[in-house]
Amino acid sequence: MRLADQASFGPTEALVASIKSQGISAWVSTQMGLKSARYTSGNGGEVHQYTGSGSFCDGKPTTCWRDWSSTEPLVWDFYRNAVTQPDQLRQRVAFALQQIVVVSNLEVTGTYGFRLYYNNLLDNAFGNYRQVLKKVALSPVMGDFLNSANNDKAAPNENFARELLQLFSIGTCELNTDGSLKGGACTATYSNEVVRSYAYAITGWTYPAGGATPWGCWPKGMNCTYYAGDMIPVASFHDSAERPLLSGVTVAAGTAAAPALESVLDSLMAHPNIGPFIGKQLIQHLVSSNPSAAYVQRVATAFNSGKYQAFGSGVKGDLAATVAAVLLDAEARGEAVARSAGKLREPAVMFAGVLRALHGNTDGDALSWWWGDSLRQHVFRPPSVFNYFPPDYPVPGTTLVGPEYGIHSANAALERLNYLTFLLDWDGAAPSASIPNALGTQIDLSAFTTDAADAAKLVDRLSLLALGQALPSAPRDKVITAVSWWTDKTDATNWKTKRVKAAAYLVFGSPNYQVMR
Amino acid sequence: MNTTVNDDTLLSSARRRWLLGSGATLASALGAGTVGNLLLNARPAYAADYKALVCIFLYGGNDGMNMIVPSDTARYNQYAGVRKALAIPQASLTPLTGVSYGLHPAMAALGTAWNDGHLAPVFNLGPLAQPLTKAQYRAATANSGVLPSSLFSHSDQQVLWETGSSDSLTRTGWGGRASEALATVNPVISVAGSARFGLSTTQTPLVLPGPGSTFGAQGLQATDTWAPLVARKQAIDALYAQAQDVALADAYTSAQRDAFAMSARLGALVKTRPGDADAVAAIDTAFASLTSAGKITTGLGNQLYQLAKLIAGNATVQGNRQLFFASMGGFDTHGNQVVTGSSTEGEHARLLKELGDALAAFYAALKALGLGGAVTTFTQSDFGRTFAPNSSTGTDHAWGNQHLVLGGAVKGGATYGSYPELVPGGVNDVGQESWELQGRWIPTTAVDQYAATLLGWFGASEGQLDSVLPNLKNFGTARKLAFL
Repeated sequence: MRLADQASFGPTEALVASIKSQGISAWVSTQMGLKSARYTSGNGGEVHQYTGSGSFCDGKPTTCWRDWSSTEPLVWDFYRNAVTQPDQLRQRVAFALQQIVVVSNLEVTGTYGFRLYYNNLLDNAFGNYRQVLKKVALSPVMGDFLNSANNDKAAPNENFARELLQLFSIGTCELNTDGSLKGGACTATYSNEVVRSYAYAITGWTYPAGGATPWGCWPKGMNCTYYAGDMIPVASFHDSAERPLLSGVTVAAGTAAAPALESVLDSLMAHPNIGPFIGKQLIQHLVSSNPSAAYVQRVATAFNSGKYQAFGSGVKGDLAATVAAVLLDAEARGEAVARSAGKLREPAVMFAGVLRALHGNTDGDALSWWWGDSLRQHVFRPPSVFNYFPPDYPVPGTTLVGPEYGIHSANAALERLNYLTFLLDWDGAAPSASIPNALGTQIDLSAFTTDAADAAKLVDRLSLLALGQALPSAPRDKVITAVSWWTDKTDATNWKTKRVKAAAYLVFGSPNYQVMR
Repeated sequence: MNTTVNDDTLLSSARRRWLLGSGATLASALGAGTVGNLLLNARPAYAADYKALVCIFLYGGNDGMNMIVPSDTARYNQYAGVRKALAIPQASLTPLTGVSYGLHPAMAALGTAWNDGHLAPVFNLGPLAQPLTKAQYRAATANSGVLPSSLFSHSDQQVLWETGSSDSLTRTGWGGRASEALATVNPVISVAGSARFGLSTTQTPLVLPGPGSTFGAQGLQATDTWAPLVARKQAIDALYAQAQDVALADAYTSAQRDAFAMSARLGALVKTRPGDADAVAAIDTAFASLTSAGKITTGLGNQLYQLAKLIAGNATVQGNRQLFFASMGGFDTHGNQVVTGSSTEGEHARLLKELGDALAAFYAALKALGLGGAVTTFTQSDFGRTFAPNSSTGTDHAWGNQHLVLGGAVKGGATYGSYPELVPGGVNDVGQESWELQGRWIPTTAVDQYAATLLGWFGASEGQLDSVLPNLKNFGTARKLAFL
């Protein structure tokens, strides 16, 4: 059950049985071999090839913006896959990666470009982090998001260079392999001069060929906005001076854009920070907000060696080895839970988790503008490159951090309960005619009604599924009392279903579920 | 934290802790006069001793160099010579009568507040550990403590502004610490998420949703008296009273218990929308130009409408001192800050119009309520932006920046602090070598001095300022500015 919380979008009775029968290491290995979830919905690149008069959406259906420009079709895919596709671990790791190498539909539009970006993350979830970074650096969606597309050597835009260093690879402070600050204080990893060097080294990239506008492409010599592929080099915009980078790497004078990018990647992959910086964030996304230094050290070591037990290729940055180290570590697996353990279940994982456990199905429509915005995690629309929440958000009343607490609040606490009311008491959302192959968002409680005649048995069954154990006895008694209110006297036809609803609301609404251990 | 909740009093456990810990009496903490009813459009009785501070954080790093521009010929020409395609035309600036500056034309709505003498720009503000010259900046060594940490980084500089610190590992915000030090009845109230500004060692900000939203758990309200819902509420209360095995879950249950208590008290007030039966007419009138079909049309407008309601509804909100937090995002204008060929249009103009219009409506609402002098609104932002533009019609991360303070108590109609010398590589620029002449200003006034001015007006003693703003002592006698 605990592994299912960490490595999938939430336990189902079938998944827990499968993990038990295969064994943990074998299950992880099997998962890494699966590849079924894809982003396929939404329309193509025509939105960036329109040369007619007026705007592209003139004369098209009212869903034009949604289907060509927004990430809403990808939200449908995301939640459908999360709830039903078998390659759960790949999806969870890709979801973690997309919260490290962030792009956002708030600032960039073009459904097809995001589709490619997120499919790349699914493809590389167990590949090498260097390849993740390379695809990110060459992505025209990232190019537009952080201004690295059409970046001119004359006065280079620093945006992508700075966030590549700060957020995507090494961070602002020098780290020990165990993730702690070198010397106990923040020693800057790079100066402003270094940022400028990287900015210069990454100049000279434009969109792939294929875009068009009625007024031509600008600036002269560059391609029009277009997202169907990697960016391509443009020599005239590329700075060719010698640029000293980090880790002792230098881009020699006269180096072209493509080999200069390889040098940039060399310098980042060789930096001692990258293992603990990326490794710790993967732990925080999958397992716990406050891993011990020793745990971070073991994961960073797996990242650096590219090997963990039988997992990985032996090349630095191997994500199969890193993810295996995250999940198979004693701190993730042990029975004893430390006082500092756990993490607040992030909203998207909570949405999908309850649906999975209760045999639900969704087309994701209700989980974007409605519940996604209510709980401040509308997938694919983070407020900035800094994701929905920072990795170091402090939790008052403790000395710990809790990244997900950065979007938690009194209001969010109540909205989490209201989501359960929506699923259980309002029967979720009906299929909408405007969504292709609509499913709505609904659950199926029939599998649990067989135990409903015995309220205690029902509550314990749901608790075992959701929490891995029974509720503590004092609240368990109150929960059983609330469930037992429903009898054949109070509702002759539906009392068993009403009991399951009452029990599910309380088990999934409990702090024991919302904060995973 | 992990004790059981044994009553359903209005006071949350955290608030009880404060009241006990601070030694304040219940009566004084609740504030004299807060129990009276608010008479619409008349100065409410509680206004005699009510003060609120409203922080508006402009996420991404607002380009203060285009928000307020020198209008005298000599400096305007310096400005336009460097800013080039980004320069705002001199004739289009919103004039600020009496000073040699103009506002971005998108902020014309603030002209009234300026003419009332209630708007003050503050120049070249930013995080500092101590007063800092260019020579000291360039000579500073790593970890010497002379420089604030991780300059030019969004996340770090946001933390420094919000925490009033020069160390980006600081956990608590200066709003949260002030709330704790002054034993305010409520924590910082935020209409823009759980920002660091409102964190203290024990409290998170109270985050409220926008007008029209339900702030409460469906089926668990006091009005839900149907037996199965009563049983559900009792079970929920038992679940959230249970001590947890991990500290993060104890923090979660504590927040949930506070949420139930707060939503019972504030739910109806939060939900009110423009035009509703219990809406305040003076507020609706002031926000009329931002209202359509019962909804506020801009994000910041919606937040400030909510705050105006909470200020007018202080009998329900309680307390005679309240810190509020609102925000806007999108200020990270690396590219397409202006439309090529028309520098008064584009992304930055759109942002500043939303800011200016919302501030003007908020100012008008409070003035109409007779609360203008009781509320001071101020901006914060990650950092200023490079004076020299980049090649994508945008600007990059810098440091010192221009800010605005607004309210009836503000000594407006004048400017404060010193505007940076408009010379790349000059005395205010961190840069000296040819590669670094983008104009990133070393602040000449610290966030600590800005915050001390605001908190001093709010009622903090000198000793409380020293405890809330630990670096303030490094600025000697120059602890406060004169804008309040």
